[in-house]
Amino acid sequence: MFDNFLIRENSLENVYREGKPVGFKFAVRIADYRGCFLSLHNGYYVECDGVVYPREVQKFEINGKAPRDFQEIKTCVWEHWNYDDEGYVYVEKEGGLAPGEHVIGLQQSILAQYGYMPWDEAWVKNPPEPGTGAGAGKTASVCEFRLKLQQA
Amino acid sequence: MIKRGVSLYSYQQAQFFKQMSWKDQIVEVHDNLKCDGIEIIDEAVIRDYPFPSEQFIFDWNNFMARYDMNAVTMDIYMDVHQFRDHVMTHKEAAERLKNDIKIAAKLGFKNVRCLCLVPIDVIEMALDTAEKYNVRIGKEIHAPLPIKLREDRPRPTKGMAAALDYRMADQIIELAQRTGSKHVGLVPDFGIFQHSPTQISIDYEKRHSAHPEIIDWILENRFSYTFDELFDLMNEKFPGNNMGYGLVERFGLKESSAVPEDLIDIIPYIVSFHGKFYQMTEIEGQPGCYEDKSINYEDPIRILCENGFDGYIDSEYEGQRCQQDRGVAYLADEVEEVRRHHEMLSRLIAKYSK
Repeated sequence: MFDNFLIRENSLENVYREGKPVGFKFAVRIADYRGCFLSLHNGYYVECDGVVYPREVQKFEINGKAPRDFQEIKTCVWEHWNYDDEGYVYVEKEGGLAPGEHVIGLQQSILAQYGYMPWDEAWVKNPPEPGTGAGAGKTASVCEFRLKLQQA
Repeated sequence: MIKRGVSLYSYQQAQFFKQMSWKDQIVEVHDNLKCDGIEIIDEAVIRDYPFPSEQFIFDWNNFMARYDMNAVTMDIYMDVHQFRDHVMTHKEAAERLKNDIKIAAKLGFKNVRCLCLVPIDVIEMALDTAEKYNVRIGKEIHAPLPIKLREDRPRPTKGMAAALDYRMADQIIELAQRTGSKHVGLVPDFGIFQHSPTQISIDYEKRHSAHPEIIDWILENRFSYTFDELFDLMNEKFPGNNMGYGLVERFGLKESSAVPEDLIDIIPYIVSFHGKFYQMTEIEGQPGCYEDKSINYEDPIRILCENGFDGYIDSEYEGQRCQQDRGVAYLADEVEEVRRHHEMLSRLIAKYSK
């Protein structure tokens, strides 16, 4: 769902710390027709210009709070990501991205379900790796975006 | 008399792109569809679910009152991984259901729709709350479920169909009879009367599949085989393909999962209907009249009219999602699709209500 529209086109920017680029960020929406309990959000498969950036170097910004890593997001069992709201995905990358166009491949992993499934206990112990399609909800493919880096 | 309504699910794309707020959607239903039934997805409409503000609740009730609308059914969910350190227990699932019932009552809804995978004991645990707040729990009968298990229809041994309990409707009726409760029932989804694959879904899959010829092969052979047979033959004929059983379920469809006549016995338990549809096209030779070529609406509506069903069919448009993989120009027009759906509903209801 919303395949081509999951990332806002003009949202790719570098992220700076103490004046130095330390990564990049882009704005995303939920790939579903409903919001979710934030704890269900299990990270992203993010590929940028052929390089895969695993969940460990990702953070997610939502609900007016500072970006949180997915270990912390997992504990937000009473917080909700509203369907209408945009979140930001932060990716650590020393030096950030070069000016110009970048190709991003994205798959969002949200462990939303319609009921009990045979893999439930396995997912508690080992949540699915984003990108495999498992836990990818309503958009199971890796969607590709060509985005121009915006000036901060 | 059958009453018409709309699930705001139908306008999910307009909401996503911020073209229509829930208020705009209600005005569209009121002004242009000339009906009063409103259904919602709780996690799509209710700001800050499951803790909506008093302001949101008042605003909702006020707006519904202003347009004299009827809050029919609120669709609720059961995400068993919410707590992440354990799978939600049945008792916890019942707590979510009870809380959703309380939210529904605050927003004036008469019913909640729970999913077809919700265990029957979870529903039973929430029945007291449903009685107390006077909100009926309607369990969805969603494809590939039938209404009644029929011996003459082969049941797939794989895929979604294998995971579902085909006695679901019977279990709900048994619960209603055993407890004497009027607060438990069924929400049939018109997808159970879908008898053939939709063109938009075929087109989407072909745009993305590495093997579009397999989809054509399934479509050509669907009348000769069961799902299980098609799946085995597909793997024999196209070794090494990575097409799952779900593909066979979608494109091998040759008859609806439910038989329209089976509605007769469950009418007293029907809470409301989901009027699922994918694409409304003009009927040849009947300008201004529309149909969904893949779903049988005529027979179920005739049967409901003949047997005195007095409740809502809420449009549930779902064709938008297979048209979101290309540019803005290819996006579906939800408002127009729902208007066409209501042309069909009004026409069929009038035809058989005489």
